[in-house]
Amino acid sequence: MKKSKIFIFIAVVLTSLGYSGCTNLDEEVYDKLPVDQFGKNTKEVNSLIAPIYRTLKGVYPANFFYLSECSGDMAITPTRKGGDWWDGGQFKELRLHKWSPGNNSVTSAYNSATSGITLCNKIFVMINENPSIENKEMILAEIRGVRAFWYLMLLDYYGNVPIVTDFNDKELPSTKSRADVYKFVMDELNAIKDKVRADVSSASYGKITKGVVYTMLAKLYLNAQVWNPAGGAKWQECIAACNEVMKLPYLIEPTWKNSFIVKNQNSQEIIFPVVFSTSDGGNTIAQRTLHYLAAPSLGLKIGTWNGVCAMPDYVKAYDPADKRLAWSFLTGPMKNPATGETYITAHGRPLIHTVDVTMKYGFDSDGWGQVEQEDGARCWKWEFESGQNGDAENDFAIYRLADVYLMKAEALIRANGDIAEATRLVNVIRSRAFDSPSKLKTSVTLDDVYKERRFELAWEISNRQDMIRFGTFLNAIPGWKGVTDARYLLFPIPRTARDANPNLTQNPGY
Amino acid sequence: MKMKALKSSPFRRAGRRAGRILGLVILNFLGWTLLVSAELPLPSDAGRPVVVQQARKVLTGLVTDSNGMPIPGASVVVKGTMVGTITGADGRFTLEVPQDAAVVTVSFVGMKSQDLVLGNQTELKVVMEDETIGLQEIVAVGYGTQTRREISGSVTNVSEKNFNRGVTRTGVDLLKGKVAGLTITNGSGDVTSEQTIRLRGTSSLNASSQPFIVVDGVPGMSLNSVAPQDIESISVLKDASAAAIYGSRSASGVILITTKKGKRDQTSIEYEGYVAVDNVTNKPELLNAAEWRDYASKNNISTTGLDLGGDTDWFGEIMRTGLTHNHSLSMTGGSGSHNYRASISYLDQQGVVNDNVLERYNARLSFNQKAFDDKLDLTFTGVMTQRNYSPSDTRNFVLAYNMIPVYPVKLADGSWYDNQEYDQGNPVRNIEYNSRDNKSNLYFGNIKADLDLFAGMKASLNVLKQRESNDYGQYYDSQTERGRNDIGYAQRNSWMADKQLLETTLNYKKVLENHNMNFLVGYSYEDNYYQSMGAQNRQFVTDLFAYNNLGAGENLRSGDVWSSKNMSKLISFFGRVNYTLMGKYVIAASVRRDGSSKFGKNHRWGTFPSVSAAWHMKEESFLRGVNALDDLKFRIGYGVSGNQDGLSPYLSLPLYGRAGQYYDNGKWYTAYQFDQNENPNLRWEQTSMFNIGLDYSLFKGRINGSIDYYDKNTKDLLYTYSVPQPPYLKGTMMANVGSMNNKGIEFLINGDVVRNGDFRWNASFNIAHNKNEITSLSNDQFTTSAIKTGDAWIRGGSNNTTHIVEEGKEVGTFYGWLCKGIDENGKYIMDDMIDGKAGLTDEDRTYIGSAQPDFTYGLANIINYKNWELNFFFRGVYGNDILNFSKMSYATTQWLPGANVLKEALTIGLKESPRYCSYYIEDGSFLRLDNASLAYNFDTGGKYGINRLRVYLTGQNLFVITKYTGLDPEVNMSGLDPGVEGREFYPKSRTISVGVNLSF
Repeated sequence: MKKSKIFIFIAVVLTSLGYSGCTNLDEEVYDKLPVDQFGKNTKEVNSLIAPIYRTLKGVYPANFFYLSECSGDMAITPTRKGGDWWDGGQFKELRLHKWSPGNNSVTSAYNSATSGITLCNKIFVMINENPSIENKEMILAEIRGVRAFWYLMLLDYYGNVPIVTDFNDKELPSTKSRADVYKFVMDELNAIKDKVRADVSSASYGKITKGVVYTMLAKLYLNAQVWNPAGGAKWQECIAACNEVMKLPYLIEPTWKNSFIVKNQNSQEIIFPVVFSTSDGGNTIAQRTLHYLAAPSLGLKIGTWNGVCAMPDYVKAYDPADKRLAWSFLTGPMKNPATGETYITAHGRPLIHTVDVTMKYGFDSDGWGQVEQEDGARCWKWEFESGQNGDAENDFAIYRLADVYLMKAEALIRANGDIAEATRLVNVIRSRAFDSPSKLKTSVTLDDVYKERRFELAWEISNRQDMIRFGTFLNAIPGWKGVTDARYLLFPIPRTARDANPNLTQNPGY
Repeated sequence: MKMKALKSSPFRRAGRRAGRILGLVILNFLGWTLLVSAELPLPSDAGRPVVVQQARKVLTGLVTDSNGMPIPGASVVVKGTMVGTITGADGRFTLEVPQDAAVVTVSFVGMKSQDLVLGNQTELKVVMEDETIGLQEIVAVGYGTQTRREISGSVTNVSEKNFNRGVTRTGVDLLKGKVAGLTITNGSGDVTSEQTIRLRGTSSLNASSQPFIVVDGVPGMSLNSVAPQDIESISVLKDASAAAIYGSRSASGVILITTKKGKRDQTSIEYEGYVAVDNVTNKPELLNAAEWRDYASKNNISTTGLDLGGDTDWFGEIMRTGLTHNHSLSMTGGSGSHNYRASISYLDQQGVVNDNVLERYNARLSFNQKAFDDKLDLTFTGVMTQRNYSPSDTRNFVLAYNMIPVYPVKLADGSWYDNQEYDQGNPVRNIEYNSRDNKSNLYFGNIKADLDLFAGMKASLNVLKQRESNDYGQYYDSQTERGRNDIGYAQRNSWMADKQLLETTLNYKKVLENHNMNFLVGYSYEDNYYQSMGAQNRQFVTDLFAYNNLGAGENLRSGDVWSSKNMSKLISFFGRVNYTLMGKYVIAASVRRDGSSKFGKNHRWGTFPSVSAAWHMKEESFLRGVNALDDLKFRIGYGVSGNQDGLSPYLSLPLYGRAGQYYDNGKWYTAYQFDQNENPNLRWEQTSMFNIGLDYSLFKGRINGSIDYYDKNTKDLLYTYSVPQPPYLKGTMMANVGSMNNKGIEFLINGDVVRNGDFRWNASFNIAHNKNEITSLSNDQFTTSAIKTGDAWIRGGSNNTTHIVEEGKEVGTFYGWLCKGIDENGKYIMDDMIDGKAGLTDEDRTYIGSAQPDFTYGLANIINYKNWELNFFFRGVYGNDILNFSKMSYATTQWLPGANVLKEALTIGLKESPRYCSYYIEDGSFLRLDNASLAYNFDTGGKYGINRLRVYLTGQNLFVITKYTGLDPEVNMSGLDPGVEGREFYPKSRTISVGVNLSF
């Protein structure tokens, strides 16, 4: 071999070896953020905390809304003629108190709470370990506040659930008793009540504030006999918590509708809202409640589903002079705006919404049947904006001041306290609802407060909790169900949750 | 892994890195070339031909088969020219040739072509020999070719003469039903839909189960990149011992497509064209106006406000006779040291639904040059595919089901009728005014270079740069059902995928007396970049812009503009040894080490070995005397292959992604949230397959075929498993958990039923059985008892699932209530004692069928008589179940009178709400006359320079024999919920086409 050829050969072999260097498999990320490179300043941190509030969309108007209003006596999602909203019987089970661990509403609600809690834990770790954060104590308190809210929901609906506060703890958690959960929520709220922001302003709207924490405490104490019977009643504590809220610059809005209109973020009555936007998960109550042809009738540009409506007796209990009757429920004919004629449903019947809901067709062995498409008063509480295209932006007030007034009134009466003050509080609420001062109470009873809560807080996820506290939840509902078993005071732990975590114990009776 | 600032964009750097590698390789290659060329004399002018005007002579001759029977239609061509003819019915030909013509090539389908050296004779007698199917046939295998004799894995090769005829959209249409174990399913009649291709069953829960496509040695190509008319042959690598050379992506088998190439000394121009008409075979049988009115009057239902006096067949209104035409033109040629082939194909296909079209242009140019005394072989290939297509908006089927026949399409004054009831609206108007247009491009350049280094040693280089892109425009007119709520809705969406590939191999062949050895080593680098962007807007003052002026919309929201980008890399080293001893014993072993960027840092590399052996038993003394037996080959093999296709990148990393918006002090801001439960342990899904087979050939090739048995185990199944929350952040997580088994047997027999001079009948039958079983869904970290999946959405049926994925069951198992019929009260008779307790609950659901067939089979026939050829082909499936979803949704009177139902609703006797149960699970077995084609080859006698003229008439999907009562028993078979004919099922059509093949 010639010398030059040897050189070439060596060069060739060397370059061939060059390939072995081409084994770099590192990824380059373009449209996502590597965790170690984001969260360096307040703006970035804010955008990372924000998702904890987005989890609140699981409260309303789907999961907990159905669990509360459709298991109490406020609302019903009947199976419509033809079978719409049968959906495996999940709504029948809620209405008749027959639910099981496989019920879809029971499962979805539980999942929205546990995923909310997990996200709070994760973000808690992230903020806690980030050295470059100002206001760390306040931010951490805020995260704990949202987590406490979700535990409050679990405490109320599921009772015995695991308590997880450390995201890095990868052990599958075990069930804690309802009393433990009660104590945990109370301790958390007390720990953060002076650390969270106290302002009531546009800047604090939709965030965990002092007002929100005290309202949660008030709820906790009001229901203490149910949630932690061994601890006894906590009426004074409830009154004290309500007083703390009432000291803050919230307002009973003189115009009742201000808390329910599309731009209700300016309502000073709202303490803790779920903030909705059309482009990112909005308020879907219109879709859920309105008939298909009600959308064109009301000028809405959305596809509607003809689902949930009010229970007849709940509506009938209203005083006809109570303006909240018309403000809360939609009845009557749905007309074609072009012709002025009443629409005809697919079953050849005029589309006139009635208060009555009558089961007529295709009965099951347990008496559940199908109702006409037009049956039932529809939810009319949150204003529908003509031309609405997509989800609505009306925020949902998880807590508002009227609720706090009524809680304090109830606690005062139950504690044998100042009836005059209780009467004044109830009358503040009633005076918005009636034109005539003759409708105001001279002295209120416990039953008056119960009823007032029903009139004021229809559709607002208060029904089940109130009925349990007033001992009416298991009662018969004539025409629908008989007296039901005490196990239904709690929902079961969903089957899917127990499949994924064998350490969870089921609630008694399921 | 880092985010870089814009000025040194990762994209540019990646491009630079690929460039650097390419530069390195070219340098390297040049080096080798230099090394080789150093020993070669330079080309000189000495041997150059001189062109002179030539005299001509006349050749005559007779072409017969080995029995002395004349062969009509055989082609006789002067090698290296376009001078040629075809034999007549008597097998004779006359051809005027240049005086100095040296060689004549005679060829005929199914026979070995012959080169005859012309001396002074002008009268030729040619005896053609049957091409023994099998043994000497050259078959593409991964990274090379082998003769069939040398193959020890399970490989099926289908070449042009056995391809399906008629309307063929992609390469796999050509071999539909022809390969045992390969099922190709068109789940829809939509001309833009993709087929589901499965080889030896489903072997993945999440990642792709589609076989890996290799075109001309370039791995991972799209079927759209090659027009069916450009394909010469297709090899299917069925078992892991054959496929494992493609390592991590070959778990579902490999399909190797070889395109036609230019041939040295053979110049021709070919035209192939056809025109086809499509008519729908079955459309849903809904109540017509008279039946609807009759029902209303018999049941005393008021029709006021509903009966608008129409008599409309809504499905009829949205369907048509589809017209398709295809033209392809190719040129091939070459001489001395180069050859080329250039082709252009055009396909314009109309679906039977009015909004469904596909228009496609394929252009392919490949040029081959030899240099340095034929030691360097260079091929440049450039390919372009453009498609303009509109998939059907299946929403219109739902509307056509629901709209009652007494509604008119248009009112008396000529204006459109429309309606806003649930699932209703005018589908004709939707189709007329709405658009969903795709414009896609695919182009690539490919350089292949083979260099003979020294005796038996060859270095090869394969470089590819490909870009595929799609631009989508959608507009829903403000007056139509689709666009009325948005007052006009427009969207544009585009994506671009770049692929860069570099492969180098070294191949060494050595033949010693009884030893035949072949060594291969190689390196492969591939990166893929994907980017997309899109925007949407609504509320347009005018519909005139359609999707061409998004800014004109008046309702732009947050989230209405988006873009994305990602990348992944795959790097591999591989090697293979083939050894044949005394022509009798064949052993092959291969190993591939693959690294993928998609997996966790410590799990990126995987090794995929295989080994196989074959034994030509006929060569042994104990069989040598058996004259009837031509060959008997026993094969056995085992290999491990992987799967990662269909898996998104970055699943192993903790990342924040956009998570909607948050409200802060009166304004909305973008929120970020963890996108996923990152899984740093993500790794390869692994399939190991054992295969044992026998190839046989009897009576001088008159009967031949093969039998194969395989056992395939897939472990570390990738799937998005449910995980508890807490401790996990998200409820699901991509992980490697379960395992799955597929076992099966495949049988092929092919024979000349009649082989009698000018009458020949060849028949080929294949049948395959596959049994799928999920063997585990749990490991020490995750437990999943069952995955309930599939959406059984009917009105009032939310949160229903149709299928179950469970240990011990096969993928595609239907799971629901067991129904024994409908009682006299119109109620289902459900078995409510499955859980041992009376009362029908979710716990009473059970296994009610399986979408997986017991057998799939195909029977192909080719009958030749003189110039005629008749080709017909049956295809069938046996033992599978189908969920007749349309029947479940619409065979009920519940929706009457306001929504239409199937005619069956009046006779079925159901009076309660429809529920998903076994009542709607039907036997899906079928036998289809898939394709029948009659062709005639003209005796052109070389007139007008025509070598070959062939016309044919083809019918596709001519009839189906089945007990299934829905529209068509062949439905979507992909995913975990196969075997469902949904409400949005696009009906199938029958195709009749007329075509011509012409070559000069």
